[in-house]
Amino acid sequence: MDSILSILREYGVLLLVGQYPNGPLGGLTITLVLSVLGLVLAFPLGVAIALARISPLGWLRMPAAAVIYVVRGVPLLMFIFWVYFFVPVLTGRTVSGFTTMVITLVIYQAAYLAEIVRAGIQGLPHGQTEAARAVGLSYTQTMTKVVLPQALYNMVPALVSQFVSTIKETSLGYVISVNEVTFAANQINSSLMTQPFQVYFILAAIYFCLCFSLTRLARFLERRINARREGTFRPATSPALAATGPIASEHAA
Amino acid sequence: MNMSSSPASSPLIAFDLVNKWYGDYHALNGISAEVHKGEVVVVCGPSGSGKSTLIRTVNRLESIQSGAIRFNGQDVNAPSLDINRFRSQVGFVFQSFNLFPHLSVAQNIMLGPVNVRKQKRAQARTRALELLERVGLASKVDAFPGQLSGGQQQRVAIARALAMDPPAMLFDEPTSALDPEMVGEVLQVMKSLARDGMTMMCVTHEMNFAREVADRVWFMDQGSLVETALPEAFFSNPRSERARKFLSDLRSH
Repeated sequence: MDSILSILREYGVLLLVGQYPNGPLGGLTITLVLSVLGLVLAFPLGVAIALARISPLGWLRMPAAAVIYVVRGVPLLMFIFWVYFFVPVLTGRTVSGFTTMVITLVIYQAAYLAEIVRAGIQGLPHGQTEAARAVGLSYTQTMTKVVLPQALYNMVPALVSQFVSTIKETSLGYVISVNEVTFAANQINSSLMTQPFQVYFILAAIYFCLCFSLTRLARFLERRINARREGTFRPATSPALAATGPIASEHAA
Repeated sequence: MNMSSSPASSPLIAFDLVNKWYGDYHALNGISAEVHKGEVVVVCGPSGSGKSTLIRTVNRLESIQSGAIRFNGQDVNAPSLDINRFRSQVGFVFQSFNLFPHLSVAQNIMLGPVNVRKQKRAQARTRALELLERVGLASKVDAFPGQLSGGQQQRVAIARALAMDPPAMLFDEPTSALDPEMVGEVLQVMKSLARDGMTMMCVTHEMNFAREVADRVWFMDQGSLVETALPEAFFSNPRSERARKFLSDLRSH
């Protein structure tokens, strides 16, 4: 325990921000930035791919399905190398490890998210779409106002576990020397030489805290939405009175 | 060549030799009939007779393979038809209510007016309140569908359809999914609509409602419109053998 604390005292800053301000920003900060960018960019892309995949238009459906099958068919690590070596060839510019990692995570996660979103949309009762269309809403309005808000809510548990895996997958940035927290831990281990257990215990604890708090936050939000819909959020008025009152008087009149 | 009939006598909904197949199954078999303005038509018949399919063809929730359906003089299946604008002019009430569970009662009703008619939210909400008053649920304006009984949900669904000020309302077995004690409150609302002169087409098994409110009864069996009659004549002296059998089956339980 003492050795863990002394490692934290000695190398805590390195774990948090890397070499900064004397070198590039790194450590946990970069892990967080990678995760947030991964989530924020992959989510809308995932929804878009899902919508394309269930679109009535074939020319949208085919490429979406292709992306999903390809991405799901290859290991993430291989995908990272792919982006790392081929994006510079395609663009004619060198690309940093960080950028490579963002691109990889976004494409990879978007494909998985797309399948979750598709399941969520197709799991809704068809009556919801019919009712929306019957009121005169367009396909797009039906999706954005009726289908997606419900589908996304139903998907929260699956989405959260996908988000959690994004956070963990940022650690693979290590193989292309992205200065994230795993990279920092490895640096520490290399300079200490003798305390791998303590170093990697700290690393594990950091990932665990990050992922666990995201899971808890999602659970909390889920409960709040549920409470609002079921009316336990505030006192409901007497249903019996409301149901019979005006009708009865109308009938009498 | 002055042969055009006066607009007053032209039908609001006209079926002309409508045919529909599901594969080999002949779901609608040469249906020709008319619903005039202000008329209340009850469509009845054994299950699987095509009643729901017929009513769903009116706002094109179901396509047809041959024949024509005109609503207010407009060919429902014309390729040039703006389907969303058209559907917003036909009120449709579903058997399973199909309220949007993620929206409050007021938001359910306002969805069409705000998104399709581009009404101001305040104006749409005022109208929603009026309609809720009319169906006896003014106190539930900010409740969520999950907090309401089946009968209340169906009354909200009726208010939602009325919010578009439709010239006609279609009801697809509006009380079939309700517990017996809640059927009455929904029928009350429908009766008051009929009294106010709303053109209505109702698929229902509520024969007392048909007797009391309907101007005409359409009896369907095996995809065909077997008989149309005044309710009095239909119930006391049905012309077809199939209608006689249907009515005796209904009475025997």
